[in-house]
This record gives sequence, C-alpha cells and structure tokens, in this order.
Amino acid sequence: MSSFMTDLVELSFLQNALLAGILCSIATGVVGTFVVLRRITYIAAAISHCILGGIGAARYFSVVYALDWLKPVHGAILSALASALVIGLVSMRAREREDTVISALWAVGMAAGIIFIFKTPGYNEDLMSYLFGNILMVSRDDLILVAVLDLLVVALTMVFYRQMIAVCFDEEFARTRGVRVEFYYLLVLCLTALTVVLTVSVVGIIMVIALISLPVAISSRFFNRVSGIMMFSVFLGMVFTSSGLILSYEPNLPSGAVTILLAGLVYLMTILFSSFKEIFKSKV
Amino acid sequence: MSHDIIITLADVDFSYQSDFKVLKNINLNICAGDFACIVGPNGGGKTTLLKLMLGLIKPDSGTISIFGRSPEKSLNKIGYVPQHTKFDSNFPVSVLDVVMMGFLDRNFSWGRYSRQQKEIALQALEEAGVGGLADKSFADLSGGQRQRALVARAIVSGPQILLLDEPTSNIDIHGTEHFYDMFEQLNRKFTIIMVSHDIGFVSNRVKSVICVRQTLQIHPISELTGETLQNIYGAGVNVIRHDHRCSEGGHSCLHS
Repeated sequence: MSSFMTDLVELSFLQNALLAGILCSIATGVVGTFVVLRRITYIAAAISHCILGGIGAARYFSVVYALDWLKPVHGAILSALASALVIGLVSMRAREREDTVISALWAVGMAAGIIFIFKTPGYNEDLMSYLFGNILMVSRDDLILVAVLDLLVVALTMVFYRQMIAVCFDEEFARTRGVRVEFYYLLVLCLTALTVVLTVSVVGIIMVIALISLPVAISSRFFNRVSGIMMFSVFLGMVFTSSGLILSYEPNLPSGAVTILLAGLVYLMTILFSSFKEIFKSKV
Repeated sequence: MSHDIIITLADVDFSYQSDFKVLKNINLNICAGDFACIVGPNGGGKTTLLKLMLGLIKPDSGTISIFGRSPEKSLNKIGYVPQHTKFDSNFPVSVLDVVMMGFLDRNFSWGRYSRQQKEIALQALEEAGVGGLADKSFADLSGGQRQRALVARAIVSGPQILLLDEPTSNIDIHGTEHFYDMFEQLNRKFTIIMVSHDIGFVSNRVKSVICVRQTLQIHPISELTGETLQNIYGAGVNVIRHDHRCSEGGHSCLHS
C-alpha cells in the first residue's frame, strides 16, 4: 500500500491506471443500471466478445497496410456498435431465436479476432491484455478517449433518462403512448456498446460483464430508486477498480482479475447478509 | 355524456401466423360512455382485440377507427392499463414516477417532470384510490394497489377511453367489488373497455358484454337469482347468457 502511494506520485502510468478505473466506473455504473434492469447482461457480454473481432481487424489492417492512424480502439468502437445494432434489430424484428443469434455473434466475433491477430505480422502478446485487461498500459490518449466516451454516455442518459426508464419498466405501455420504443432500446444497446469498449481497457473482454453488472447488483439491494442505484454503482465501481489496482500492485497480480474477485466477494457478502437478515426476521 | 359511436371495428380479421385466424370478421361499435366487458375463453382473442384497438398490432383486413381516425393517430385519446403481472415487479421506481410515465408521448421532451404534472399525477392517484402511496416503492405495493397505480398512470394524460387488460385477475372477490366502485366513478368521465378472465359472470356495473371466441357475439346479461351463486361470487354479479344472441350493440334477445 505504502509503496503504491509513493510510486503513484512518481509514475505516470500508475496515475493513468487509477484515473482510467475511476472514469470508466462512471459509465459502467450508469449504463450498467439500465443493462441489469432491462435484463440484457448477456447482450452486453456478447458485445464485449465481439469487440475482439474489431480490435483484431483494426490491428491487422494498421500493420499490414501501414495505416498508422488506425488504432485497435477504433475497431473496438465500430464492432461494438455494429454488434449492438445487429442484436437490437434481430431481437425486435426477426422471428429468429434471439439467444441463438447472440451466441452466434459472440463466438463469430471472437473467432474473427483470433484469426486477425494470428495473421498480423510481428509481436502478438497483446491478445492476452485484450482478453484479461491491462490497466497499466493505458496511455494519456486512451484516457482522453475514455473521458470523451464517458461524457457522451452521461449526456445521452441525462437527455433521454425518463424515456429510457419508461421503456425499461414497461415497453408496451410506452408504445401505447407513442414513445419510440425501438429507438430507445437501440440507444440503450449503443450506450452499452460504448461502455463495454471503455471498460475493456480496465478489466479486459472476458471480465467486462462483471464490472457492469456486479456493482448494480450490489446497489440494488440497498437502494430502491434508479437514480440511487446508479450513483452508488458508480461509487462502488470506483472503489473496486482503485482497490483492485492497489491490492494487485505489490504482489504483482493481474489487476483486472483482482478487481473482479473483489466485486464478486462483496456481492456474495451482500447476498449472505440479506439472507441472514431474512432468516432472522422470520425467526422473530 | 352523448351516445355517439366512438370506436368502430369493421370486418376485422387478424392472425399472428398466416394459417390460423385469431379473430375473424369482427364488427363492433362502442358508444361514448359505455362500460364494456370483453369476455371469452383463453386464446379466444380478447387481448388481441384490445391490442388492435391500441394500435399495437394491425389487422390483416378490415378497418378500425377511434374517433374517426386510425388507432395510431388516436393514442392520446386512449389510456391503457396492462396486466400488472407483465413486468418486473422489483423495478426500483416510486409509485409517483410510475404514474408520471403516463405523461410521455410522441413529442420528445427532456428534463424533469413539471410541478403541474406532479399535481395531476397526485390527483390521479387520489382518483384511483391510492392517494397516500405516491412516495412508496412500486415494488412494495400489493397486487391491487399496483393495479390502481397503473390506472392512475393511464388517466394522467387525459384520455377519453380506458382500456384495461384483466384488471381484477389477481384480486379477491371482496377487493373486486371495491375495484368496480372505482370503475363506476371513472366511467362518469371515461368510456371503459375491459377484458375479463371470467366467462360466466360479470359485475352488474358493466353495461355491455362482448364475447370473443374467434368471432364476436354480443350477449345479454341477466340478474342472478340463484342464492348459491350469489354466495360464491358475492353480491352484484350478472350471468352472461351465452345461449342468446343480441343484435349489434343492442340487448334485444333473439332465441337462436
């Protein structure tokens, strides 16, 4: 802990890492609340895995065709938004089984990513950091991008808040009021996509879904209003990412995994706590 | 209240899949001020009929007009009360927030609900008989209270017609009587059409009964005489006489 603090003052990559976790918690707390309430965590998980395809493609084309401006994150944003729209349109329009389409997209996205990464000449160690996250590699440029996406997510949520809540609560009623239900559903999915992209840098593709859903799951045991759940989830996200970073620093553990374990542990404790409380109540 | 025809369904057919018609050749007129009850067996097309009037689904053929316009263009004339079992009962919103969702419409607006809207919402809760519950969590309400809150949500936008989908399905006989008190009050301001799960009996507050089983029949209702049945259903129910047919909208009985 103390060595983390002294290093934090000196090492800019550590400062970046801490900031990245804090910034991305804002988006995950806000959007995660919609994701959990609308019960679409599996869609968020599918989007996060699809991202590998975009990352792989962007890296491949940038190396092979020497496109220096093309960064993996561009591919990530594009593939996340594209998969969100595909899943959204399929679940609204087609008679196709929605979960089948989602799993197909999930696996195909990853497969494409692996092929691209395999065929990209040169150094290929990055695959692991995409899958499991490497918060210590976050650069100043990444931070700016995370901040911009954060701003976008928060601004859109503030503008469309009432409509999004109404659609999550009772889609059919909203439709009878003439609210453009499909637009708001796609909006929630696109915000999810953007949030997934910026969370990938912190905990990696595989563990994104935990950082999006666990803080909300914990908060919803203590708060019974959407706004309260959102704010407490943001706070919890910040606590988890920061303490994940701090705890993993000295023993040199992967910080993403420590963050998620911490969140899982707290979630487990809240479940146990509330079931004990209920048993106690029923005894009395 | 005038007795003009405000809802007309003419030769309406509807099918979810092309091979089976859920509704066939439906002709129906509903007058302003009516309190109509749609009854019929499960899968008979009751809720489908309601959804057609709401414009949530479109007929294969035939026309539906509400105040002379298509259902989609008459959305602001209709207040809809869905079955409360349809959505996540643990959703973290206050009762007042649920009611104010009724203000949202086609025209986008952002920011908070206005003070005036809040006043209207509180008044609607009062009218629905759950005035004191505005600040409670929707999740903490009983089935009946939730249903009443949803009625309040349906009326805040100032509709003229109320469409209710099995509003009393989760409520005991005693509670149902209180519900009909509320409906009777509301019927002074709104034309009410409700779907009921009960085939044999309807409250005697209902003014007309529409039976749906793929096709549509309008049946007369007769006062209950059997005391046993009175005991089962409590006071104030009418037997629907499925063995009789009425002319459209009328109750003159013709032996079939």
